Amino acid sequence: MSPTFAAENKLEKFQTDTSVIAVERGVDTFMNACHGCHSLKYVHYRDLARFGIDKERIATWRGDSTLDSAMTSLLSDEAALQSFGKVPPDLSMIVMAREGGASYVFAYLTGYYLTPEGMTSNHLFPLTKMPDALEISTATDSVKRSEIMEQAHDIVSFLSWAADPQKAERESLGYYVIGYLIILTVLLYNVKLQVWSKLKT
Amino acid sequence: MANKIIAWIDHRFPLTSFIKHELTGYPTPRNLSYWWNFGFLAGIVLMLQVLTGLFLAMHYKPDAAMAFDSIQHIMRDVNYGWLLRFMHSTGASAFFLVIYIHMARTLYYGSYRAPRELMWWTGQGLLLLLMATAFMGYLLPWGQMSFWGATVITNLFRATPFIGDQVVVWLRGDYAVGDDTLTRFFALHYLFPFLIIGAVVIHLVALHSVRSSNPSGIDLADKDNIPFHPYYTIKDFYGLGVFLMAYFLVVFFFPHSVLEPANNIPANPLITPDHIVPEWYFLPFYAILRAVPNMVGGVVAMGLSVIVFAFMPFLDRSRIPGGGRYRPVYRIMFYLFILDILVLGYVGYVPPTSKTIIIGQVATFIYFGSFILLPFISKAEDKWLFKRGLPPKILALIASEEQEIAKRGKR
Ligand code: HEC
Ligand code: HEM
Repeated sequence: MSPTFAAENKLEKFQTDTSVIAVERGVDTFMNACHGCHSLKYVHYRDLARFGIDKERIATWRGDSTLDSAMTSLLSDEAALQSFGKVPPDLSMIVMAREGGASYVFAYLTGYYLTPEGMTSNHLFPLTKMPDALEISTATDSVKRSEIMEQAHDIVSFLSWAADPQKAERESLGYYVIGYLIILTVLLYNVKLQVWSKLKT
Repeated sequence: MANKIIAWIDHRFPLTSFIKHELTGYPTPRNLSYWWNFGFLAGIVLMLQVLTGLFLAMHYKPDAAMAFDSIQHIMRDVNYGWLLRFMHSTGASAFFLVIYIHMARTLYYGSYRAPRELMWWTGQGLLLLLMATAFMGYLLPWGQMSFWGATVITNLFRATPFIGDQVVVWLRGDYAVGDDTLTRFFALHYLFPFLIIGAVVIHLVALHSVRSSNPSGIDLADKDNIPFHPYYTIKDFYGLGVFLMAYFLVVFFFPHSVLEPANNIPANPLITPDHIVPEWYFLPFYAILRAVPNMVGGVVAMGLSVIVFAFMPFLDRSRIPGGGRYRPVYRIMFYLFILDILVLGYVGYVPPTSKTIIIGQVATFIYFGSFILLPFISKAEDKWLFKRGLPPKILALIASEEQEIAKRGKR
């Protein structure tokens, strides 16, 4: 984390939910609330299937796109520039591409509020060109707010998976590799002791 | 059968005698500590980098329009591509860590002194090659930090007298860092490790001619030497096991700790990141660059801060062997110097404030001051230690070293 950022923002630690159900809910909300503007060009629909999400469910999201196509948005860069003055960033890597990672993205999504003048602003990114997609700034009752927090939580869990889809595979392989190395190193150490013990004359 | 083949080869090529001379019979001091494992580890990391790099190059595209995407392709679609990439990115940091420890060992024990000056200088050359390789490799993912890091560093060459602007264009292959820069950096990043391998061969040939030094700094008489194999092969492999555990712990569980978040954003010449930081292994030198208010001065200071190590064999005037082991003043200087480098690293890392600028300047002063004062301090320390009287054990060792050198002279 860059020191500038660490000094300015204390983010609440985001607990990623790695379960298939949470990610599936996240995709669903994402497709409804974010995909109109944001692409996920490095994520393919088949990756969702490989992760364990039901193919039928995926079919409801991908529309005419094939299972092999990337989850790109239909919004063209030109249209985006015209509407927002900015192209919404591709979100495939967003969790890896911001200081603070998932905690940042969660705090950003839920950081919208109404200023006393009735304008929407964001605690983390006051000048953001993105509208309050989850409409948390206008949600007043606590039930609605906590529902939105839940949605944001699922989206960020999904985006965390999207940015690092091999994390689970990597870590489970990692346990074997480290375990193997521990055994190997202990053996090597014993051989070393044995070889060197011949020296003591 | 195997014996026959070996005999056949031995008639035509010195295979057995080579192995005997350089490995099974190669005499090595018996008192080497674990700090002597790091040269071997550097060699292994070099192999790892070359191998993982080779396979990455099979899927990577050195083209500004495709480079970033091709990394994601490696990470997501290529079988175990993520493993290759994380091993390579973690390996770069591991390489510097191992080399810095290797150098610190050499500094502490004074192994740069006669007769090992050539080892020290080939090592210095290796350090420069390694830095160049890492710098060029960092451009290849074509992220924001890649782009801006390369822009800032190539821009420093404007400090070259008279032809500065031309040199920058010549390095970049264009007026700004762009597609041509990326493609040439890729070509050179592929070439340089082979130059490193060549330099390592020279480093090792020199080693086998002067032999390893040891924690007491003395050329031990033959009775204290043991054959490299099996004693040091097994010790090196045990050390390798420990090293690989640490390395793979990062590769499998914390691979993103060595990658900048900003480098997961594709390079964009129109948007400068708020805070451009080099990789951790360049931070102390970067701090020295920033400590000098004038750009040309900063570049010269930074260049000197790396090159200055080459003068160590001349700067250290002490006759006492063993470096920090028997030299209390030198030992204190060594630890202060390491501390100073850590302070510089911190200063290079944080965004400059008036306070850190002062700290950086003081630390830069101490950095160069250590080298400038070393001839005087080491000379005075030498006098003081001899006057005070050295323990008989060390005097005996010095005498045996003189004998060794005399013998060597006769050869
Ligand atoms: C109406 C279009 C639109 C929708 C819908 C939308 N965004 Fe955005 N988003 C943008 C724009 C425009 C930006 C660029 C903001 C800027 O840089 O000022 C952006 C930026 C972002 C960023 C990057 C912020 C940063 O730090 O630079 C994230 C993360 C993000 N959006 C997430 C989401 C998520 C998650 C959703 C769905 C809940 C969503 N967006 C819905 C338009 C949209
Ligand atoms: C690519 C990087 C390098 C590799 C692969 C490498 C390899 C080795 C090996 C295998 C040894 C013998 C084992 C040991 O003493 O640790 C050695 C010794 C040595 N290296 Fe390196 N080295 C590298 C870089 C450097 C650098 C950067 C320096 C210093 C600037 C250096 C200075 C020395 C010296 C002086 C010795 C002899 C030390 C002694 O015997 O006491 N090396 N190196």
